[in-house]
Amino acid sequence: MKLHVRLVAAAAAVGLVGAALAGCGSSGGSSSSGDNITLGMVTPLTGSSAAIGPYMQNGAQLAINEINAKGGVLGKQLKLDVQDGACDAKSATTAANKLVSDKVAISVGGYCSGATLPTLPIFNNADIPMIIPAANSDELVQQKLPLVFLINGTGTQQANAAMKFIKKEGVKNVALMDDNTSYSVNIADLTEKLLKADSSGPKMAIHEHVTAGESDYSSNVNSVVKANPDFVYWTGYYQEGGLIIKQLRQAGYTGKVMVADGSVDAKLIAIAGNDNAQGVFATMTQTPDTIPGSEDWIARYKKAFNADPGPYSTQAYDAVRVAAEGMTNAKSTDGKKVATALEAIDGMTLFSGPLKFTADHTLSAGGFLILVVNGDKFDVQDQLQD
Amino acid sequence: MMQLIWSGLFVGSFYALVALGYSMVYGIIQLLNFAHGDIYMLGAFIGFALLAAVGGIPASMSIVALLAVMLIAMVGTGMFGLVLERVAYKPLRNSSRLAALITAVGASFAIEYGMSLLAGPNPEVYPVQLSGESFTVLGARISPQQIILMVVALLLMGGLTYYVQRTRSGRAMRAIAMDPRACLYMGVNVDKVISLTFFIGSALAGAAGVMAGAYYGSITFLMGFIIGLKAFTAAVIGGIGSIPGAMLGGLTLGLLESFGAYFLGGQWRDVFTFGVLILLLTFRPTGLLGERVTERV
Repeated sequence: MKLHVRLVAAAAAVGLVGAALAGCGSSGGSSSSGDNITLGMVTPLTGSSAAIGPYMQNGAQLAINEINAKGGVLGKQLKLDVQDGACDAKSATTAANKLVSDKVAISVGGYCSGATLPTLPIFNNADIPMIIPAANSDELVQQKLPLVFLINGTGTQQANAAMKFIKKEGVKNVALMDDNTSYSVNIADLTEKLLKADSSGPKMAIHEHVTAGESDYSSNVNSVVKANPDFVYWTGYYQEGGLIIKQLRQAGYTGKVMVADGSVDAKLIAIAGNDNAQGVFATMTQTPDTIPGSEDWIARYKKAFNADPGPYSTQAYDAVRVAAEGMTNAKSTDGKKVATALEAIDGMTLFSGPLKFTADHTLSAGGFLILVVNGDKFDVQDQLQD
Repeated sequence: MMQLIWSGLFVGSFYALVALGYSMVYGIIQLLNFAHGDIYMLGAFIGFALLAAVGGIPASMSIVALLAVMLIAMVGTGMFGLVLERVAYKPLRNSSRLAALITAVGASFAIEYGMSLLAGPNPEVYPVQLSGESFTVLGARISPQQIILMVVALLLMGGLTYYVQRTRSGRAMRAIAMDPRACLYMGVNVDKVISLTFFIGSALAGAAGVMAGAYYGSITFLMGFIIGLKAFTAAVIGGIGSIPGAMLGGLTLGLLESFGAYFLGGQWRDVFTFGVLILLLTFRPTGLLGERVTERV
């Protein structure tokens, strides 16, 4: 009798799972045919960068809502299909394959460069253009895939901005620290190249690589302090960045610190400790807070999602708008035609400035500026316009 | 030089505390409890929740508050370890080792992402942190909070050694590690002792979690992953199954990392550490203090 009960329970469970799968199938099976055009987004919803996912998802959704309210694209409504990439190559690959089987028209996702790289050929082979809002390692465009577009400033542009500011500050010895991921190493290596090329300018004291996800960086910090720098540039993400700033100060380092855009988050200040973080600089692209005249956009965002926008909300918003512009101009959702239309865009207004893709499919102007920690937030230090 | 030794020993004492639980559980039921690092994370989050709930603790009371929170978190993670053993491992005690191993990996993911659902994926900042002016001894920068944590870690390890070596339950533990079946015949309550082992091991990891939160200041649901691997490595260096071995292994690993990073650069640290581990295992397959075990069929 007991066995019988179990069998019934098991059968019921199988039935439930079956129903759930069927449910997934019907909702996930939305394709670009019919009345909708689906845009796909791979973004971290779990893992160490999980905080960023909702910012990007909401930014993209806001753009979609606004475009749909104006009648959509090519007479069809836009839809967003978000998959978790977890900032991890394996998860992102699975997510990208899911989007391909969901028949998305354009991919508007990609945050961690290391996780975005392996998804490029997947989308490219399926003739799906990628408008990457956040990931910005130069490696992403070095393969010269015809359908890949970056609308965040690249590593090269970020390194140039960093170098410009380092020279302005008149420092002598620069320590570079990265976390061994594609994004981070890219910026650090490019900055190293710039430092070495400029024989009269600041010297590179040390280039230290750390392992992401640890708590204790004292061994790395010891090496950095030994090299006696007066400027430390950290090119990784905010969680490790906060710990490194704190541990640098504990180890007696009193010089300047600068972080790259992956570390620009209020949590960096909280983790480092308010006192330790004061005066820390950051190389960053435009965010809603730093863009003049974006109050209206922030208000719309808050109204729609009852939450504040964050890093890469604006870029995800722009990625959707660029995608819509491309399809409208191409009068088609065909990947190659859309890519040609994207290359032809000239002067469309984005948060980062007027859009015109370079031959590499990157922004012609990276729009990097320097922020500084003031109290519990980042303020603009230098627009680097001169 | 002194600086390197001191940082190595300090990090090593964290590894040692977590490694103890690994080693104890392995010693008794030959299970690699891969969820152990996540119990460390759980301890950090229990401490975080308690401190956040209490709110506004004056700076003068922060050490007392943290110690109290640490004790509560130890009981909490200990109980959790007990439940984990009952739910996930006990039903599999007589099945193949691989089944239990995979279950441990599954338990690890379940705890990590369960916590992510519960507390959110963002890193949290500890509301009460240890702070103090560091001073220099023989060229090493030492801070009072580091000393406090070292003392707590040493007390915990000392207490454990006393418990295992000098009490009845400790003797039962050592006996079961030698031969569980014979113990059963001798009237030892094997299940109870296994539960107790999980309780103690998990409580130590929980203590380390609260200590990490109070010292480093930031906690995330994935913080247990790397330290879990490191602790496992420490347990293997010291000889898995051996309690003094786990302590020695933790400190050795901390020192290896500290020296490796300093002389070879951060990117070579893990290569150096694991290179030494492989060399060590080539010459002493059972680790520093592990005893040669003859496989009984």
